[in-house]
Amino acid sequence: MEAIQQAQSVFHLTGRGPQPPLEAVNGRGLRPALLARYRDLGRLRYDFPLVLVDAGPGEPFAVPLTELVNDLVRRTVPEGPGGEAMRKHLLHVERHIRRAVAEGRRGRLSELWESAVAARGEDLAPELQELLRLAGSDLAADGELADCDESLPEALLAHAWRVVQREKLARAREDINRLIVRLSDILRADLIHSEEGRSADSLRAAVGTRQQGLFDFDTMAGLLSRGRARAGLGERRRERIESVLKVLRSQRFFPDPLARAGAPADVNPYEFRFDACRTVREVYAKRLPKMAALVRAMAIAELEVEGRYDESHHDAFFEAFDADAMSRQDLAIFPDYLVCLRGRARAEAADVNLMELLSSGIPVKVLVEVDDLLEEAAASEAHFAFGVRSVQLASLAMALNDAFVMQSASSNLPQLTGPLRKGLSTPAPALFSVYTATAAHSGDLPLYLVSAAAMQSRAFPAFTYDPSAGADMASRFSLEDNPQPLKDWPCATFEYADASLQRISRELAFTLADFVAADPRYAGHFARVPHPDWDDSQVPVADWLKRADSGEGDAPCVLAVDEDDVLHRLVVDEKLVEATRRCLENWHRLQEMGGVHNSHAEALLAEARAAWEEEKRREIDALTGASTAAGAAPPAPAEPAEAAEAPAAEPDPEEEPEPSPDEAWIETVRCSSCNECTQINSEMFAYNENQQAYIKDLRAGTYRQLVEAAESCQLSIIHPGKPWDSTEPGLEELVERAQPFI
Amino acid sequence: MTTKATHCLVRLYEEHHALEDYQGGVPRWCNGCGDNAILAAVQRLCRDEDLAPERTVFVSGIGCSSRFPHYMKTYGFHGIHGRALPVAQGIKMARPDLNVFVNTGDGDCCSIGAAHWIHAIRYNMNMTMILHDNHIYGLTKKQASPTSRLGTKSNTTPRGAYLEALNPLTVTLGVQNVSFVAQAVDWIPEMLYDIVSKAFHHKGFSFIRVVQRCPEFMPKEFEMWLNDTQKTQILTHDDGVRPSAAIGRLYRNQLEHDPLDIDRAREIASRDDPIPVGILYRNPAVPCYEDIRHEGLKERTPEMVRAGLEAEFDKFTVWPEGQEQAS
Repeated sequence: MEAIQQAQSVFHLTGRGPQPPLEAVNGRGLRPALLARYRDLGRLRYDFPLVLVDAGPGEPFAVPLTELVNDLVRRTVPEGPGGEAMRKHLLHVERHIRRAVAEGRRGRLSELWESAVAARGEDLAPELQELLRLAGSDLAADGELADCDESLPEALLAHAWRVVQREKLARAREDINRLIVRLSDILRADLIHSEEGRSADSLRAAVGTRQQGLFDFDTMAGLLSRGRARAGLGERRRERIESVLKVLRSQRFFPDPLARAGAPADVNPYEFRFDACRTVREVYAKRLPKMAALVRAMAIAELEVEGRYDESHHDAFFEAFDADAMSRQDLAIFPDYLVCLRGRARAEAADVNLMELLSSGIPVKVLVEVDDLLEEAAASEAHFAFGVRSVQLASLAMALNDAFVMQSASSNLPQLTGPLRKGLSTPAPALFSVYTATAAHSGDLPLYLVSAAAMQSRAFPAFTYDPSAGADMASRFSLEDNPQPLKDWPCATFEYADASLQRISRELAFTLADFVAADPRYAGHFARVPHPDWDDSQVPVADWLKRADSGEGDAPCVLAVDEDDVLHRLVVDEKLVEATRRCLENWHRLQEMGGVHNSHAEALLAEARAAWEEEKRREIDALTGASTAAGAAPPAPAEPAEAAEAPAAEPDPEEEPEPSPDEAWIETVRCSSCNECTQINSEMFAYNENQQAYIKDLRAGTYRQLVEAAESCQLSIIHPGKPWDSTEPGLEELVERAQPFI
Repeated sequence: MTTKATHCLVRLYEEHHALEDYQGGVPRWCNGCGDNAILAAVQRLCRDEDLAPERTVFVSGIGCSSRFPHYMKTYGFHGIHGRALPVAQGIKMARPDLNVFVNTGDGDCCSIGAAHWIHAIRYNMNMTMILHDNHIYGLTKKQASPTSRLGTKSNTTPRGAYLEALNPLTVTLGVQNVSFVAQAVDWIPEMLYDIVSKAFHHKGFSFIRVVQRCPEFMPKEFEMWLNDTQKTQILTHDDGVRPSAAIGRLYRNQLEHDPLDIDRAREIASRDDPIPVGILYRNPAVPCYEDIRHEGLKERTPEMVRAGLEAEFDKFTVWPEGQEQAS
């Protein structure tokens, strides 16, 4: 065995400091080879920065800047070479904003656009500057800018939550206002008809001051009081309406957007955003009776407004109405609670509370931010516990069955605005588990790349579980946001030049080991193989995992590049390979849930295929057996078998048998309700429930009347049949006249 | 939005109506008049949809057809000549929750009311309009109407009508924002009912022309069509109507027509022989005027009204010297 093979085997198995010719990788600034091309994200047009738009109902609440600029270019810049200069200027402004945001500047898009144009200052003619500024005001949307950093998940989710709640609030508020107005109208109408309403003072108050001198209100009141006073509302109804109005006016769930500032403290709207699960449960329990009172008040108000409140039916029901009586639909009108849990420590402390909260039926939306998948403490122990807990939090929540669950890396959030909105607007509780990279653990890689790499490497796969989408797993669970969801690892083509400057192109899988290679804390799990020692004994990790047994002297490796874009092979130690294997198993489990390589389905398929093959084999055997028995005789030419003749045409099942020509009848479905026959004899002819004629009683009239009816019917749908009374005079003539209608 | 508890309670004490509950009086139309068929179909619709009589309005103009509201036990408005549509539009604007029907005749709609008709199509308000078209003024005893055929002899045209008849279908299909156009004939009541029902369920201005007989003044007008079922062409489609087996056997002249195809609809509408029966055009995507105007309109709270009025008054207030409000 060569020295290199021995060294790499030892390193792989023990993970102890690399022996020569292997070298340690510390401090070399390595990154996975597939990320080599993304050095300067400022030049790349991708999903960030993201504009958090103040969206109305149904509008997107977050749009990538790139999309807005594309849209602007499409709308305002002429196609072809004429618009080329303007396009370049606009893209330049976009790049400037992207860089500014990456450096930490925040603000609204319009402000940053303004300063980006101003920053180019002297390079541009004043007219062009003005033009670019104008273009900025023509962008389809405006809002705060967000980059893919630690603050993104909370900022985006809180923003989306506000948008969704605003729609909900507006709906409920409109409803409450409507009820208040209608109920007040009832009371006011009652007042106008009452003695008090007709008093001179009320009448005076109803007329403007200028005209008051023109009327004698006392006489008017006297005249009005002569009329009969109308029955008033009744004491109980008035009390009921007043108490309902009081509840509707004093509720604190839905603030009135028109309420004046400085309103008394007890009508301050409730807060719905929290940062601890426990608080939500306490607050919710405290508010529950108030919610029941409001639902009850709204239900009574609806009935009162429609004039359908019936004391004998409804009193008993509403007396017993309390928090337990509220249905899910009733609860759905109330705002949802938002809880943001950030960092490992808080998530850990909240785990138990979190599951309890999600299963409690409280309409709560929880964001859990996971900021470290590779838990440091565990990494140095015997077991490389890569983010087991954080990755499985979402899977645990999925087991609750009725909670909406979404898991994603923060880099992918712009793609997931649809599921985000869905999760926020569903009445069920929702958990959003989002991985976001932190500057502390990412070395010199941009946070966006680290987040994206976590998803690429299956370390933090994206999925959604939506219980409202259907009853089965296929409609509820979706893995499709992951890159290449059908494969074990996503693959990409990697091109490089070898020592003799020949272009080499190969397919590279991006595994957990590649993801870990980007994190400088775990440099100890890798050892560099010097260039002269590269050979086939270094096997890519993805291939290594597929091997049944390892060849002697072989070791798994990943490819990485350093700051000068020089390619390196790094041998990976057994602990990390083991973690990669577990990560893959975890992914396989998700794939099965998503219907990819489902083991049950595959077993069934294999079984069915075996049975089918067996059957075919038997058929072939039977055929070959038969032909052997028939000897060398040529097969008889096929003749149509007599028995196989087409069956006789069957009668149309819908065809109803026509009544006999001797009977009197009417084609009722064709009757146009024209009253001709019923006017002749309304005992003989009558209308059915569809206002169409039928013969009610044949004997209630004469054959003559029947024939006359047949003649006067313009649609000719009355068929008189044969006469039933041979003594009727003029029968012969009548039979002749009836002939055309039989 | 009504909460669920209320829904359950309301459903518990709901009323159901029979056809008789919608019959307002004994129609004074002549025996054999096609108006009766339309009345029967509409009453059936009201019963089958269980329309609350107090939330249903029939509006009409002047003419035989316009006696319709008298025979419905719902709200009704027997308007003035040609003006049924503006009244109906006013009702719909103020009370979008009501079911609004308009009954009008060929004289009422296509002559004196033509301008309202065109604009009602364009406004596309959610209501059902039934044009009772018998090609004659019947109430005033036989004068030529805009839809009378060339050569029709009447009291006003003793030598026969001089002009080609106006085709209400092609006119309707030519107006911007048209959203529902159908034609029925009174002699196939089943299809008439199906078409009225489709029109009622369409959200927007549903225009149905019902070709109907006037046995008193035009007894021969449709004789050929009544004697030859091939001269009535049924338009069928999954999005339109399909005749029952019995009617299908009788009227074998059938044509598959997609109601979304407006060009084809115009082509079919321009024929008068055979008479097409079915849904010619239906486009649920056209917005309704009342929705556009009511959109974003909030319920007016007393506070809002007061604040708005105060602001308006303040513009004209003359303040005493030295007490001007800081504006």
